[in-house]
Amino acid sequence: MNDLSLHILDITQNSIRAGASEIYITVNEDSATDKLTIEIRDNGKGIDKELVEKVTDPFFSTRSTRKIGMGLPLLKQNAEQCEGSLNIVSEKGTGTMVTAIFKKSHIDCPPMGNMAATIKSLLCSGHSYHLVYKHEIDGREFVFDSREISEILEGLNVNTPKIINFIKEMIDENLKNIGAS
Amino acid sequence: MNIAEIADRLNFEIVCGSTGKNNMVTWGYTSDMLSNVMGNASEGNLWITMQSHKNILAVALLKELSGIVLVNGHRPDTETVTQAEKEGVVILATDLPAFETAGRLYQLLKENEDIQS
Repeated sequence: MNDLSLHILDITQNSIRAGASEIYITVNEDSATDKLTIEIRDNGKGIDKELVEKVTDPFFSTRSTRKIGMGLPLLKQNAEQCEGSLNIVSEKGTGTMVTAIFKKSHIDCPPMGNMAATIKSLLCSGHSYHLVYKHEIDGREFVFDSREISEILEGLNVNTPKIINFIKEMIDENLKNIGAS
Repeated sequence: MNIAEIADRLNFEIVCGSTGKNNMVTWGYTSDMLSNVMGNASEGNLWITMQSHKNILAVALLKELSGIVLVNGHRPDTETVTQAEKEGVVILATDLPAFETAGRLYQLLKENEDIQS
């Protein structure tokens, strides 16, 4: 996990595995508060309270359910190393929300990485779900909504290389416009 | 060469998980990024790092590493010690920085390799 976009890819894959049909990824970079917040919210099957406490413990995840993996423990450790935190709210049958906060200026804060590639991988995952990715940088924002793309394409398959590459370029361009590094 | 011999020769302290002290060391790997270790270390490697969080134990177990060396005088967190004892993951410690630790380990393992061949 060299960068945050890989963490986002990893955590969102949990949402996909949880059978979510709606996934909202929000990244907020705010210089005034010196915080970088990543929020991943889904309407997947959710987990109960006891499990929420255990998913950031690698000895729970690597032992009993390999499905959860090291993703959350590593994200938690990385966030805490940057004077940040990780919070998980989940309800069985409703969904899960993972929030990771990093201190933006912390020397160990990983770079954002390639968000366009992360979204591209998520769209190519072979599952169909509604994905909304919102990225805010100091008040400027960009929103990618997979449903809007589907509407523009009028039923054409999003999963063709040409369209996926177009989406990737569009995200790159828009991120540049809001001042992403 | 096993962990106990290496600890003895290089003056590393065995901090916890001493049930693993007879583990054979195949080679070393140095990195502080856990995902990088998960991707690149091999079975039996002795892992040199400054990370002391208990996540290191999960990585060591997943990759079947022979042990962990904490450098720069770092000591494992209390939680890490408890878990290491439970899982039998041996953790060594040295005051040397990673560069010198790796250098000495490399030399020792190379010498040992030459003797055996």
